[in-house]
Amino acid sequence: MKLFQAMMSRRRFLQTSTAAGAVGATAAGVTGLSGLTQSTEARAARPRGETKVTKNICHQCPARCGIDVYTTNGRVHAMYGDTGNPIANGKLCPKGHLGSYFLYDPDRFKGPMKRTNPRKGRNEDPGFVPISWEEAFDTVAARLNNLRERGESHRFAHFYGRGWGASDAGLYGDFGKLYGTPNSAIGHASMCAEGSKKAKHATDGNNSYNAHDLRKTNYLLIMGASFLEAFRPYNNMMQMWGEMRSKSPKTRVTCVDVRMNPTMAASDRALYIKPATDGAFALAVAHVILTESLWDRDFVGDFKDLNQRFRTGERIMPGSFDEKWVHGLTEWWNEELKDRTPEWAEGITGIPARHIRQTAIEFGSTRPAVAIFERGPTGHTNGTYNGMAIHSLNALVGSMFTEGGLFYQMGTPYGGLPANADDYLDDYARNGPWKSQPRIDLARTAEWPMTSTMMQEAGPNHLKGTPYKMDTAMFYSTNPIWTAPDPKAWEEALKDVFVIDTSPFPGETAMYADIVMPESTYLERLQDSPTYPFEGWPMSALRVPAIDPIYDTKHFGDMLIEIGKRINGPTGEFYRIIDNVENVLRHRAKGFENNPGDNGVRDFESWKEKGVWYRKPYHWRFIRGDFYEWEGQRYSKRMTAAEVKQKLLRTPSGKFEFKSGYLEQYADYINKELGVPVERVGLVQWVEPRHTGGNRDLYFVTPKTPMHAEGRGANIPHAAAIHQPVAGGRGTVYLELHPDTARSRGIRNGDKVKITSDLGSIEAECRFVASHRPDTIILPFEFGHWAQGRWAKDRGPGHSGELTANVSDPISGLASYYTGKVTLTKA
Amino acid sequence: MAKWGMVIDLDKCTGCQACTTACAMENNTLPGESWQDVLFYHEGEYPSAQMKWLPRPCMQCENPSCVHVCPTRATYKDESAGGVVFVDWNKCIGCKYCMIACPYGVRFYADEKPLLEPDLREIFPGGQDKQLWSPPYQSPDEDWSKGIGIQPPGVVSKCTFCHHKTSKAPAGTVDFDEDNPAVKEYVPACVRTCAPKARYFGDLDNPESQVNQLIGDKHGVRLKDHTGNKPQVYYLGAGAGVPAFQPADKGDKS
Repeated sequence: MKLFQAMMSRRRFLQTSTAAGAVGATAAGVTGLSGLTQSTEARAARPRGETKVTKNICHQCPARCGIDVYTTNGRVHAMYGDTGNPIANGKLCPKGHLGSYFLYDPDRFKGPMKRTNPRKGRNEDPGFVPISWEEAFDTVAARLNNLRERGESHRFAHFYGRGWGASDAGLYGDFGKLYGTPNSAIGHASMCAEGSKKAKHATDGNNSYNAHDLRKTNYLLIMGASFLEAFRPYNNMMQMWGEMRSKSPKTRVTCVDVRMNPTMAASDRALYIKPATDGAFALAVAHVILTESLWDRDFVGDFKDLNQRFRTGERIMPGSFDEKWVHGLTEWWNEELKDRTPEWAEGITGIPARHIRQTAIEFGSTRPAVAIFERGPTGHTNGTYNGMAIHSLNALVGSMFTEGGLFYQMGTPYGGLPANADDYLDDYARNGPWKSQPRIDLARTAEWPMTSTMMQEAGPNHLKGTPYKMDTAMFYSTNPIWTAPDPKAWEEALKDVFVIDTSPFPGETAMYADIVMPESTYLERLQDSPTYPFEGWPMSALRVPAIDPIYDTKHFGDMLIEIGKRINGPTGEFYRIIDNVENVLRHRAKGFENNPGDNGVRDFESWKEKGVWYRKPYHWRFIRGDFYEWEGQRYSKRMTAAEVKQKLLRTPSGKFEFKSGYLEQYADYINKELGVPVERVGLVQWVEPRHTGGNRDLYFVTPKTPMHAEGRGANIPHAAAIHQPVAGGRGTVYLELHPDTARSRGIRNGDKVKITSDLGSIEAECRFVASHRPDTIILPFEFGHWAQGRWAKDRGPGHSGELTANVSDPISGLASYYTGKVTLTKA
Repeated sequence: MAKWGMVIDLDKCTGCQACTTACAMENNTLPGESWQDVLFYHEGEYPSAQMKWLPRPCMQCENPSCVHVCPTRATYKDESAGGVVFVDWNKCIGCKYCMIACPYGVRFYADEKPLLEPDLREIFPGGQDKQLWSPPYQSPDEDWSKGIGIQPPGVVSKCTFCHHKTSKAPAGTVDFDEDNPAVKEYVPACVRTCAPKARYFGDLDNPESQVNQLIGDKHGVRLKDHTGNKPQVYYLGAGAGVPAFQPADKGDKS
């Protein structure tokens, strides 16, 4: 009892020490003894209501993990990975569980609205007033019809970020064709990861990310891909990591990156590389693979004289090497590779030659070995060439289309729409003045001839009035006014554009919106989603609403269809037949009747029930020197060279090209932009990067952490609370830097610092991380919003994008997000 | 009688924190009230530095310090529930003595200044339900006698090994393997979601259980074994242990 007395006095002390605690402690009983006996009001287990589980797909990154959504008494309360979904396999990443916050976000828009304040800016209250959906659609359609009557329909542009499938972004093509605009739609790929696609386009002819067979990979070389943070599909990559690291033989991993991160920490060998020099590292690895005779004879070929060798610095005779499935190896060696030694690469990359040689010998002598890369190497002016050098390693060791190697993604055999847009084109659609207009972003013009999209240029182009001024812009799942390089240019640009935003959330674009048409959150949507490149075989998942929309919101696809119905002429007729998203999906699902999924999905209803259609296996495989096609039982049909060219290695030569025929088609352009001699543009080679802010002394890197959540990470309380664990960033993010870098500038741990680029300055709090390169400072990209909701707004340090110059790789068009140099001072 | 145990393989853990968020949503904890946290440590210096991480649930000790110090016997070890250490919120007076006694730092008092503002407790106030807060997405399970559900104000909260799930498993379940459809709904949230499969859950009293096999084969260790607390959580892999804390601006520059 004496002990208890002491405790009680301690409790009283606590009561006075924290006001909030006092309420609870007092409630526990003033007698001080009631706590020892079970009070009559004590609460025991409560019965729970009926729980319903529906299928959905997570919306927090491009991975498309299938989720089981748990709803009890009309409230969604949990989500777990769908065991029947081949990407999720019952698992989720840290973001996936937080989906309820999207649904119950207190800052969500509750219904359509229009702006009443004509002035636009960060500090302008839009003065939104609620309107009906009818008014919203009629307003937009009247505007679009009017543009069309004036012959200016090209001045309407659609912008989108995450397109999911046939029921949303898949509707853009028909809309542009029927209405008459080249800007339907401007995708965000050039601000995402276009560089790796272009590197593959240039070497193996596939303008795509790779599918992988990581379960059977024995060696992984990861270059700037944030494999354990952001590489897609992230959740599945972690599953594969678990398999690779516990199988026999254990997959060996070498990670090359510009900073310490979880992938570097978990790999067998971590090599710190100077930003933008990954191509030099990969060329030296290739050099060693050849001089050590480690290349794959079945894929690459061999010398006619089997005693011949690749010797450093020595040319080989043209015609002396029999190329098998590769093109240009002799010229590549003679004109580039013979001098690209590890010692040469050490001088450029900062990685000791012995580590490069050791990595090359391991990579070249372990089969199957796979080299992967993403925005790290490609987010620079030399990005495509960096990516080509890395991807060439996959060809040298024969990993293209092999078991445990990498390949490409098959499409879903969807059924057709109930109407064909080509039957509903009027004269204007066929021959209107819009036909001769370029896109607002000037992609696929002489300005950017090799890129398919250049979203980051659209805002600045509008400001200049080149090629014209936009009149109206509709945004879906994208927010370039904040995410584009040099976003302040967009803040100016969108002031005189009629902006329609469709986000469910009050983002920066919405603050500039003239009409807000809020989309339903993903847990309330019916929406299809064919997979990103995954394991090659086709797959399409389906979002099934867990509950009816809790506010007056709609599916983006339905918005597009409703606007289409209001466009004058045959366009309206077309959309009346298309009618709505569910109708689109019912027609798409008819394609499954003749191609039943492995899980029994054969129509719309079974698709809804299972949440995913897929059909294994992947159809092609490279086996001991030849390509084979699947014939129902095994890979037994040997393919001709012509078939390989048509289906797999889709380059001009039909082979993997170390001398790219695709790049050679643009030789003059590449020469003009990058200074590469015309006769050399095709070669996989080292090209010096051009860093923005070139005279400044620190590299500035702004990676995405696993909590990025498609731009919502800063407004999800649990995500923001654990955003940057590697440096203790809870509720904020810190600038990570090496202590020597700080001390030489008089900066102490925890100080507020000023980071300055050619564009301006932002402030951040710093944290010492001695495992980083002293010449590279790191500020994860996420915070610094001036809208996006109550948690995101004004949280954390300045926005890293405001230091990022709008400079892109001229070949891929990928914005060079990670190439800026900055100076650092104490704030 | 089963004795529930958890095994965490640090060689497979990727430090992603999915265990943290799965737990937070399953158990409706507040930001920062991370019953299942992941701690990160740096050692050494570029270019040979290392970064390590340690996922840290409640160890459900066989000899729990927290139970010994509780003045109201609110916190107790329940042998009939696999040896889980519970807090009875009907009895807890929020004195926090258990938090000081716990060698692992896995007990929480959420009635403080919020980690993140605006404060979720004000946005989703508890109101008539006597809960500390009441989010619309809260889980339907509640049992205050075991510290399950959303707590009332002024009490200590902690991991229950997701007792509201495991207790519904068919009698005699030994291995809670999330890949087995028959038991996946009963697997603790952090184990169920772990993508690299770095976590295992099952019966430590059964020598044939998967957890015992792993502990045997891979030399499982318990953290801070010298305290005599005897955790029911085991770690596998290189570097399993609690790294010494070093302030970032002192010592070896890390």
